[in-house]
Amino acid sequence: MKKALVIALLIIAAIPLLIGVAALPPHGDADTPVQTHVSARYLEKGVEEARTVNIVTAVILNYRGIDTNGEVTVIFTALAASFAVLLPAAMARRAASAESDEAPPVSMVVLFVTRLLAPFIALFALYVMLHGHSSPGGGFQGGAILGGLFVALSIVLGAEKVEPLLKSPFAPWLRIAAPLAFVAMGVFGALLTGFYLGFPQQEALRWASEAMVLIIEIGIGVGGAMIFATLFAEMEAQ
Amino acid sequence: MLAALWNNVDYVASVVLFLIGLYIIIAKNNLIKKFLGLNIMETAIFSFIVALGVIDRGTPPVMGPDAQPPYTSPVPQALILTGIVVAVSTTALALSLVIRIYQQRGTIEADELREME
Amino acid sequence: MSTAFDIVLLLLLIAIALAVARTKDLLAASIIFSAYSLVLCLLWQHRGSPDVAMTEAAVGAGITTVLFLVAISKTVRREK
Repeated sequence: MKKALVIALLIIAAIPLLIGVAALPPHGDADTPVQTHVSARYLEKGVEEARTVNIVTAVILNYRGIDTNGEVTVIFTALAASFAVLLPAAMARRAASAESDEAPPVSMVVLFVTRLLAPFIALFALYVMLHGHSSPGGGFQGGAILGGLFVALSIVLGAEKVEPLLKSPFAPWLRIAAPLAFVAMGVFGALLTGFYLGFPQQEALRWASEAMVLIIEIGIGVGGAMIFATLFAEMEAQ
Repeated sequence: MLAALWNNVDYVASVVLFLIGLYIIIAKNNLIKKFLGLNIMETAIFSFIVALGVIDRGTPPVMGPDAQPPYTSPVPQALILTGIVVAVSTTALALSLVIRIYQQRGTIEADELREME
Repeated sequence: MSTAFDIVLLLLLIAIALAVARTKDLLAASIIFSAYSLVLCLLWQHRGSPDVAMTEAAVGAGITTVLFLVAISKTVRREK
């Protein structure tokens, strides 16, 4: 009975969706409103106005920069909420039982390959982070790769090796690096042009525009990596 | 109408994936399986919006030395980058809540949790 | 126009999503979800969106799978 109701609900939900999809303009057509209104202007004027070769990075950081500002605040808020949920139980558990459970033994092959590849993965993550404006890449991708590297090292080498990074006095500043970099560059842009997160357009201030993009990218990358590593360590300690 | 659907086969696949995700959320009992279904729904929507910006014989919108028009539209890609990061944030918070629920109540099946109230 | 490669990838996506729905072992479901994320990355790369593909590969197959595995290790392994 319940299965029949679920299938009926899915069919009732499917019919208007499929009718709507059939009414859309054909896929890949060059005359759709997506291609001709806003995107055409971004593609024409993107290189000279935003001075980045990668138009997607220009849209994220320059044309729609305040959206990205809100998004890094969202990911930081998720970390804060996870802390609020998980931290009381972790502290109570650490106070109750003061022994540390040993990490399960890892095979020699995994240990060797991870230790061999870790510096190259870190180098690649930095490369992706810093070349966001001239090739596909950017802050999020580099930060996610770096965060994944921390998680892999924490699993393979044991959590004690990665603890000094997560408990150092710099750690709270690294976690808030992404929203902080955005707000700092926003105020800097307001001082230069009068608009929040306004990139200066004159030729004499070209260094300022490129420096702002670089600082925002590094902030997003390092902040994202730290947030992912902290989330993993906090959930692991339960 | 069938010819129109065959032209837009990308969109039809997104609708089917969305409905599969909806089925997982409604019909399955385990909380972690429900969040897997939620992630499938979210990626189906991302696939739909990215498919809106695709153009025939299009190249990526990176104005390197060997780029030629027509370019894939960059605006949907920028929206979906933000969307992917927001999806992983909500998944992280949801899984933290699931861990806490298991520590407090001892079960993560939805009907047993409903009986306990 | 969709080529045969695109249609094969889309059918593979639907098959993987159905496999996630039917598997009772949650560990297997998380690994199959990681494969779903990989096929999605390939589809977007083929369609000319390298930025979104790289983000989905790094975040979807990397971070989300790790979070699900940690949650499964702290709770149950099979669903009833």
